[in-house]
Amino acid sequence: MATVITDALCPFCGCVCDDLTIVTENNKIIEAKHACKLGAAKIMGHHRIKAPMMRKDKHSDFKEVSYDEAINEAAAILARSKRPLLYGWASALCEVHKKGILLAEELGAIIDNTATVCHGPSTLAVHEKGLPSSTLGQIKNRADVVVFWGSNPVQAHPRHMGRYSVFAKGFFSEKGRKGRKIIVVDVRKTETANIADEYIQVAQGSDYLVLSALRAILSGHADVVPAAVGGVSKEQLSKLVDTMKTARFGAVFFGMGLTQSKSRYKNIDNAISLITELNSFTKYVIMPMRGHYNVTGFGQVCSWETGFATAVDFARGAPYYNPGETAANDLLMRKETDAAMIIAGDAGAHFPADSVRHLAKIPVVQVDPYWNPTTEVANVVIPVAICGVEVEGTAYRMDGVSLRFRKMIEPTHPTDIEILEKITERVKEIRGE
Amino acid sequence: MQTVTIKPKKEIRISVEAENISPDKFAGKTEKDILSMEAWMGNHKTTLGELFSVMVEGSGPAADTKIVMDGDFSRIKRIGEGMTAGLIMIKGNVDMHLGAKMSGGKISVTGNVDSWAGREMKGGELIIEGNAAYYLGAGYRGETCGMRGGKITVLGSALDFLGEHMCGGEIIVKGNAGILPGLSNNGGKIVIEGNTSRPGSEMAKGTIIVNGTVDEMMPVFKAEGTEAVDGITYRKYTGDVIVNGKGVLYVK
Amino acid sequence: MELLIKNGAVYDPFNGIAGDKTDISIKDGKIVDKVSSSASVIDAGGRLVMSGGVDAHSHIAGAKVNVGRIMRPEDTRSGIKPRTKITRPYTGYTVPNVYAMGYRYAQMGYTTVFEAAQAIMKARHTHEELEEIPIIDKGALTLFGSNWPTMDYVREKNMDKLAAYVAWGLLASRGFGIKCVNPGGGEMWGFGKNVTGLDDVVPNFDVTPAQIIVSLMKANEMLGLPHSVHLHCNNLGKPGNYKTTLASMELAKQVKPSKDRQVLHVTHITFNCWGGTNWGDFESKADEIANYLNNSENVTTDMGQLIFGSATTMTADGPVQYANAKLLHAKWANGDVELEDASGVVPIFYARQVSIHAIMWAMGLELALLTKDPYKVLLTTDHPNGGPFVNYPEVIALLMSNKKRQEEIKTLHEAVHKRTKIPGIERELDFNDIAIMTRAGSAKVLGLLDTKGHLGVGADADISIYDIKPDQIDPSVEHAKIKSAFQSAAYTIKGGEVVVKDGQITATPMGRTFWVDATVPEEQTEIMMKDIRMKFKNYYSISLANYMVQDAYVTHPKVVKAGVIPVEVS
Repeated sequence: MATVITDALCPFCGCVCDDLTIVTENNKIIEAKHACKLGAAKIMGHHRIKAPMMRKDKHSDFKEVSYDEAINEAAAILARSKRPLLYGWASALCEVHKKGILLAEELGAIIDNTATVCHGPSTLAVHEKGLPSSTLGQIKNRADVVVFWGSNPVQAHPRHMGRYSVFAKGFFSEKGRKGRKIIVVDVRKTETANIADEYIQVAQGSDYLVLSALRAILSGHADVVPAAVGGVSKEQLSKLVDTMKTARFGAVFFGMGLTQSKSRYKNIDNAISLITELNSFTKYVIMPMRGHYNVTGFGQVCSWETGFATAVDFARGAPYYNPGETAANDLLMRKETDAAMIIAGDAGAHFPADSVRHLAKIPVVQVDPYWNPTTEVANVVIPVAICGVEVEGTAYRMDGVSLRFRKMIEPTHPTDIEILEKITERVKEIRGE
Repeated sequence: MQTVTIKPKKEIRISVEAENISPDKFAGKTEKDILSMEAWMGNHKTTLGELFSVMVEGSGPAADTKIVMDGDFSRIKRIGEGMTAGLIMIKGNVDMHLGAKMSGGKISVTGNVDSWAGREMKGGELIIEGNAAYYLGAGYRGETCGMRGGKITVLGSALDFLGEHMCGGEIIVKGNAGILPGLSNNGGKIVIEGNTSRPGSEMAKGTIIVNGTVDEMMPVFKAEGTEAVDGITYRKYTGDVIVNGKGVLYVK
Repeated sequence: MELLIKNGAVYDPFNGIAGDKTDISIKDGKIVDKVSSSASVIDAGGRLVMSGGVDAHSHIAGAKVNVGRIMRPEDTRSGIKPRTKITRPYTGYTVPNVYAMGYRYAQMGYTTVFEAAQAIMKARHTHEELEEIPIIDKGALTLFGSNWPTMDYVREKNMDKLAAYVAWGLLASRGFGIKCVNPGGGEMWGFGKNVTGLDDVVPNFDVTPAQIIVSLMKANEMLGLPHSVHLHCNNLGKPGNYKTTLASMELAKQVKPSKDRQVLHVTHITFNCWGGTNWGDFESKADEIANYLNNSENVTTDMGQLIFGSATTMTADGPVQYANAKLLHAKWANGDVELEDASGVVPIFYARQVSIHAIMWAMGLELALLTKDPYKVLLTTDHPNGGPFVNYPEVIALLMSNKKRQEEIKTLHEAVHKRTKIPGIERELDFNDIAIMTRAGSAKVLGLLDTKGHLGVGADADISIYDIKPDQIDPSVEHAKIKSAFQSAAYTIKGGEVVVKDGQITATPMGRTFWVDATVPEEQTEIMMKDIRMKFKNYYSISLANYMVQDAYVTHPKVVKAGVIPVEVS
């Protein structure tokens, strides 16, 4: 008997599309209608870890163990650590994050999420300049100029353009794509650039200079701007400023092309200032194109629980925050981390080589539904149910709108929450609390 | 006059937060007092005595207290934090936040210092014979003011974002500086003897002098011809025009 | 569980008790007539006893509060306290973490706090945070002033649909009442513009702020909601705005209350009683507002007192926040919500020697001291806009001591002498007045007097005991003692349980979340829902099925029933 779930949420990217129709039969998902290829692949599942596993050292083969054994060993590893790291979280629900923060407090650990290798720099820029933004529907209903800067939704956020930013029709934008000017700024001509009305090629690592030049022109100081900045002619820059400031409602979506290139978070800092200044002329908003579906959620939960968005160090019992010092890679690169739990995020695949090499030397606990490169450096592997598919709960879309995932099928494994609760309990026992 | 000599007892891998190493904290204290002072190695609460050998000669107020540190302190953070007087002489390398928030006294280091040395410094002097890492004399995240007073001298080079949000004081770097020195500064003076890139972005007030080459100039400065400073002729720029800045950038 | 509080100097204005030695009996979380001899006993020893504090306007939870945290790590790093066996870590001053919110309110003897603004679409977030705030009871007011359905129904003069929408919106957001911020301005900020007065027409929707306010007041009274419309006036943050505030108050005359309370609560007067035409001739017109309040019966207010030092302004008033950011050269977060409202967050530092700030400091105090009836002016700082709520004891001390005010005035910009009336105001409030402004009055304004704001039989056993012996202290002289006693309650009892002793947290039970379930004839809702479904199909970026706050986010609900009742509206 097939069961149909309508208005289901997609646990893949930061778009968190909530219009899927999921068809299940015998506790299996057989169809994910309306989902993009990336979302459908995630929902339909792949490479699940069957049972908990452990191994003595990183060169031995894994041996299947019971959940209790794996949890005890995980707790023992973390409890004896002086500089434990709890990393990942972006593919887990907010309810999991709360348990993770509690465990970090209990351990005196550092807790950090995958933003550290994607949009973490954006948060650093928000500390400097704030964030003039809006919900995505505001853009859908109003935007007539949309700029993708260092972001490529065609490949990374396939339904973003249809639902929110390019083709979407709304109250003041009944013409959809025809009523919008789409501009792509990037170092290379992306697929998104191919469908844009205008493409501006910036020389590698020059975004910061280009943003400053735009701000100088906007503020009436075109005279100080040289003939070309960052590979873009002054004429082209002036034209872009004109287009931007004569919009009725403009939106800038930026991606890792901006956060991870030269000047890093200062690029975002500069872009936010440009947007702020454009608001003296017309309405503008800016938004990071967040990757994992609930990377935004971790930042939200961590902020209300600890006051800081990510990279929180509980070593001394009180939260301390200073990315550059307390982020996952800051410690791994310095070989300070002496034990790690990687949960709902894949450090093995996305961290710099030096960090991964250090992970390969220290005890690592992995909590995840899937086999991935982190499994290769783990000592204890604890498989869990898939958040957003087998577990209900909360996620925050890239614009900070929270949504509740319904359960699509029954889980075949315990949830992250159960595992974290048990590890926390066991840690308390070990420490005699 | 009180002299406190500190040497590491063992190699330290996990950084230690040791804000107690300061003339203000050591003044008038005995060896025993100092050995039992708190320090944190990760989540492990420990004492200075567990990590260091400590020798005390004499006794005196902070202003007459000299701390001599000999050895590798490259994993010891927050030395001299908030110090108001006295002297710290370090023969070796040190970790982050050296002399953060200090308002008086003097710290000298023969080796390298990690990031955030002189963070939010208000006064006193910091002399670094080796290199400095990121955010030398900068602020804490989100704050509008970094260094407010005092003087930092680096004989080697410094990495990115030196003097960010600087509101006063002076930073001199004999070697090169990374990108965006003096970013969003609102006062103070930065002298870079070597090369740098993108200096003075968003500067509202303050002075930056670059004696080496500027790899990339920010397109936000008004050229004001040439001007001589201490007998050297510089190209003079004012800006950042975006923020109606009154900052002055001199490039040789 | 039985508890007896003996020998307290009780101030319970709602029940006419003013300093009498009265015993209070508690059983199962409620105040009762008497308890058995086996009840545990707290001997108050002649110290001041009041019902638990009630705050009707504070920003404690939700999207903009969290944006404040994210953009202000420099604030978060102040006020940090490590975890203990009982408490989670505290962080922050103007934007504390959820734990510090609950603990610090409880430590001041407060037990009930209302979040002043949530957009329906972001209400889930508000409740996620409310669920994590320990100890205190809470609720959240829901924004309706720029919502497209609101404006459509106001234009169509369809009060049935408007009432049905409000009832449904409260359910969807698990909200407690109607908040209306710069009505119409939220929509106009969608294109970077704003309304400039009560009679401006909102483009595309063809309604005026005045029409929105009056219609929402009527809907509020049709539904018999416990609280009235809670208004953040148009033109906030602009010199001369006191005229708009007075004109908004005057609108209340068009509507009759369905209950024994105001029909309009005008909030944070410190930001709405500005005279002058620019920053040069800026002056306080708080006396004009007080004068109006002294001659009317259907409007209440709160102070929004300014506190010198760091603050974080946060409001659904998007355009005023952009103006602030530009004026102050400060970082700026904006958070417009599709089809509903706007919002902005900007840090600020209030300085004693800045004339505008010195004048604003006087405004809240003038309002409270010149308004005769303390039921009409609640004590707030519009946390964290005027300053953080932890400064309420400072405000209490200022209200009770002219000496303290005069000492303060000496440290302020001279403009406080010429542009305000505060130097010449000698009135000093007493404990009874303070109990009204922080308890009985707030509960009355919110419509919660059945269980909150007093110590009569049947009330919730929320009680605070302060280390002050009212018959042995002269607050006018010993204002420092008053301040420190109110900062750190000797006891806070929440629902019959001791949660604070000698200023320290002793227990962290979860409080409840109040929300209003207002019933409307089903067919009325169904007709309205046709419009709503169309709006989701065409304009919202999420599905209707995923819009409403689910029960999972309100695990300790306290549902207050209301609904359409026949009421005469003019």
